[in-house]
Amino acid sequence: MTPFELVEPHTLREAAGLLASAEVRPLAGGTAVMLMMKMGVLRPARLVSLRAVEKRYSEIAAAGGELRIGALATLSALERSPLVARAAPVIAQTLRMLANVRVRNVATVGGHLAHADPHMDLPPVLIALGARVSIIDPAGGRTLPLGELYTGYLETTLGRNELVAEVTVPAQGSRRAAYLKCTTRSADDWPALGVAVVLEADGALVRDARVVISAATDTPTRLAAAENALRGARVDEAVLRRAGDAAASEAAVIGDQHGSAAYKRELLRVCLARAVRAVLDEQ
Amino acid sequence: MLGALTKDLGVAVRTIRFKLNGEPVSAEVPPHWNLVELLQNRFGLTGARESCGQGLCGCCTVLVDGAAVSGCLYLALLVDGAEVMTIEHQAAGGGLDAVQKAFIEAGAFQCGFCTPGFVLMTRQLLDENPDPTEDDIRHYLSGNLCRCGAYPEIIEAVKLAARMRKAER
Repeated sequence: MTPFELVEPHTLREAAGLLASAEVRPLAGGTAVMLMMKMGVLRPARLVSLRAVEKRYSEIAAAGGELRIGALATLSALERSPLVARAAPVIAQTLRMLANVRVRNVATVGGHLAHADPHMDLPPVLIALGARVSIIDPAGGRTLPLGELYTGYLETTLGRNELVAEVTVPAQGSRRAAYLKCTTRSADDWPALGVAVVLEADGALVRDARVVISAATDTPTRLAAAENALRGARVDEAVLRRAGDAAASEAAVIGDQHGSAAYKRELLRVCLARAVRAVLDEQ
Repeated sequence: MLGALTKDLGVAVRTIRFKLNGEPVSAEVPPHWNLVELLQNRFGLTGARESCGQGLCGCCTVLVDGAAVSGCLYLALLVDGAEVMTIEHQAAGGGLDAVQKAFIEAGAFQCGFCTPGFVLMTRQLLDENPDPTEDDIRHYLSGNLCRCGAYPEIIEAVKLAARMRKAER
């Protein structure tokens, strides 16, 4: 790694103010930043550590039917939180599949979301649950649906002086959810495809559906045609086939070393059906 | 020499203080060093070693404030004020602990390169979950790689260590 200067402000707003140029990058858990610096992709002159900022940005709270998760909460704090297990068990289930114990002990929710690597596991799940992300800047801030944060591979709408401060997730309530991570080389590999499904259903009758995929597209992507195929339908093999075909034709699937685009489209047909069945079987 | 080198690069070496295996220590650290570099270059501790360099294999496992981290992905400066524990930490009385004895008993290694990481992660697992199922063990240790392929023996060692710990209590 090339040398850099490390600064440690005590407030998140102050940290946002220090991000004055492209040479200056924020550092939370640092797992992704360290990898990118080791590869030479990132060569910052200065890193702004977020570890000394206000404690409330590391907290997880439940109020008014929502989870409020501070950006500096670690993934293992989320994994172990009884509040999360109660309000959104799909998040805890997803975290078990994410990286490994050591990475989860260090990596933060804010970094995980802001990194914008489409292989990340939580974005599709949180988007399907209807999460919003709060962003802070030196003067104020803004809140937007998490799905609107992403614009491309490793690209977000975050401005140079903006930092993720908090993510708000509506509790699952009567909704049932599943995340299916499909890896093609080994169980702990990066996914070739991630499928998050959130359903409101009476038995096999789907009243509402959210389907968001990751890893096969360059941003986490909501699949409206697949959702339409499920909404109002009584799920059987034919419905699952229609939803899978809709998903495979609407998603802008890209190939990579985990599988060609054609292969991933086939994975999507199969995995969407499995994810929907997993949700319905859970009831 | 290090001072001259970092001066040329225009980066200030910083002095950090932390507890290392129970002892208060301080060290001068260039900002871009990771925790493995700090332990090896400043304290001669080679139990945590960089292998994959990506946080996937667990050979660089170190405990920081009681939590396992990948030393290869952890900036050395961030342990300022923290409690750091490595595989070199001696059990009370100076002998081997139940996990180390179980790894020897089960023959849970060949070359031994990955063993410090496996031992530290196994201690963490058993602290959290004293009676893990085989699934629990496989899941918890999925971020540790043994390139010799001693996995069956490692899983046996973890089960044995759990029994030995229970007997000690």
